[in-house]
Amino acid sequence: MGEIRVGDPDVELDAPAHTKGVEEGNSRRRKQAGHHDDGTVDERRSTGIRPKKHGPILPIMPNLPPG
Amino acid sequence: MTATKPKPAAGKKPGELVEMAWDPITRIIGNLGVYTKIDFANRLVAECHTTSSLFRGYSVFMKGKDPRDAGFITSRICGICGDNHTTCSVYAQNMAYGIKTPPLAEWIINLGEAAEYMFDHTLFQDNLVFVDFCEAMVKQTNPSVLARAEATAAPGRDIHGYRTIADIMRAYNPFEGEVYKEALKVSRTTREMFCLMEGRHVHPSTVYPGGVGTMPQPTLFTDYLSRLISILDFIKKAVAMNDDIFDFWYEALPGYEEVGRRRVLLGCWGSFQNPDVVDYKYETMTNWGRAMHVTPGIVVDGKLLTTDLVDINLGIRILLGSSYYKDWAGQEEPFVKYDPLGNPVDIRHPWNQTTLPDPGKRDFNDKYSWVMSPRWFDKNSGEHLALDTGGGCFARLYTTALAKMVDTPYVKSTGHSVQISLPKSARLPEMTLEWKIPKWSNALERDRSRAYFIAYAAAMSLYFLERAMERMRGGDMRVFAEFDVPDEAIGCGFHEAVRGILSHHVVIRDRKIANYHPYPPTPWNGSPRDSYGTPGPYEDAIQNTPIFEENGPDNFKGVDIMRAVRSFDPCLPCGVHMYVGGGQTLKKIHSPMFGASHG
Repeated sequence: MGEIRVGDPDVELDAPAHTKGVEEGNSRRRKQAGHHDDGTVDERRSTGIRPKKHGPILPIMPNLPPG
Repeated sequence: MTATKPKPAAGKKPGELVEMAWDPITRIIGNLGVYTKIDFANRLVAECHTTSSLFRGYSVFMKGKDPRDAGFITSRICGICGDNHTTCSVYAQNMAYGIKTPPLAEWIINLGEAAEYMFDHTLFQDNLVFVDFCEAMVKQTNPSVLARAEATAAPGRDIHGYRTIADIMRAYNPFEGEVYKEALKVSRTTREMFCLMEGRHVHPSTVYPGGVGTMPQPTLFTDYLSRLISILDFIKKAVAMNDDIFDFWYEALPGYEEVGRRRVLLGCWGSFQNPDVVDYKYETMTNWGRAMHVTPGIVVDGKLLTTDLVDINLGIRILLGSSYYKDWAGQEEPFVKYDPLGNPVDIRHPWNQTTLPDPGKRDFNDKYSWVMSPRWFDKNSGEHLALDTGGGCFARLYTTALAKMVDTPYVKSTGHSVQISLPKSARLPEMTLEWKIPKWSNALERDRSRAYFIAYAAAMSLYFLERAMERMRGGDMRVFAEFDVPDEAIGCGFHEAVRGILSHHVVIRDRKIANYHPYPPTPWNGSPRDSYGTPGPYEDAIQNTPIFEENGPDNFKGVDIMRAVRSFDPCLPCGVHMYVGGGQTLKKIHSPMFGASHG
């Protein structure tokens, strides 16, 4: 730090983020509802309330649920 | 060399040098000050130093933090192009974590960044740069030029609708002019486009390593498209008006090409990743760098030296010399001795840099700035090149034009120019604009390229939209990739901030940041003299700039110097404080905030 005086760091690292076995938001183990392994999604991505009622009306249509 | 040419000794009278200083010159982070000695007898800037009086220390306090936070923290470096930092940090983190952003997310980031270029360039060009060229300003600084403008017909009248050059200049008047007001509305629209893609302007809330949190859906892209089409008329008109006004300037003031002129030494680190190619691995960086939709490269004297991001990365050197820092070479152990390809990494490379601040008194013969001197080491010539960015847009168009690698339906590089096609819009028909490589790297050409790059970003975003919608309709909605933070890793990200080159270098140890160095464009442009005595680009461009202003020392506004500095896009002009020598201080408000009467 050269000649500059600095205080002690007063921020503690977020402990759970670095504890083995604790799931991180970005973790590979985490599974998001409505997202399929091939990159497609279904209506469950948008809603948890009777999602099957909100799918496309024809089978040839892509499943493009709203945000 | 970049050092200014020695002036002829004959005719130079030391007594006629008047010291003038503008400090701070802009709202930019780093408090830029320009200190000059002006030779009023020869109408020339004899000497120039640029300084920054603000120390920030991102590289100091990033140490020990969670690397996943880097994008959010470094975004706060800048209040106008923070998202460029987030994006660049995400690129660096992707490399460190060994992940790849899914293609749809890559298009979303590209669309967000394109909106940022359109937003920022429009705001800066029409609301800030043209204050220096507007009727109210020229009336005070060069009345004879205004008189001539009144009598000169505008060649692009059919496109923009202004009869004479003076009519265009009136449209640029702050607060009152039509273009000034319309540009504010366009900035609002482009900002909305940005927010659709990246959540929030200017510190994005939905851009993370491995992808985006933006929910893809058809209306996301159609909302963007309808806004984009609504501003195409403005963009087409802006290009025509820019050409008219700058061509007139060369004609009305012969020799104006020397204002802000320096040797063509340009750097561009590339922008808009191509998801078909990019995998964020260092080993393949050469390929995916060249696949970018703005080609990275280094141009020296009009020749393209390299387009290889690995070469570009290894050549970066952070020199001291006139900066308030202690040298870390010999004091600290290098973090990275060899890159993943086995090439040696210099101790002065950002991966190995340690920031050791050492405040002191400002002394123009010794240390005078908080900005370090980033240079690019050319291994063929052995020179440390003081690259500039030409305000970003100039270098981007220059390298893309020379490299001949960009070939999309809307933008094509020809090897000597860039062709930009824009579709039909509300009032104007389909148009193909062509930016040709100019003869000089000077203030007017930097400013002119800004209008063309707005068109470039608009045309590119049409292509990105088509590709994104095609993918979405195919059902691929993946926008993020999961990852774990590794115990040890290194990464580098290369991007273009709106005003030029941007790199982030990260070293992770024990899952924490061990070293982090962002290098945005202004340290390159605004750097002081380095340890070899080479002046930074602002200093180099201002030294020997001829003075065309008709005012004498008493009511001198320094508009030619301001045009030279602002052509590099150092963010925003603000209060100017001039020191006219002999203990006499002249205070002028040089800001559009107080209306045209204040110039």
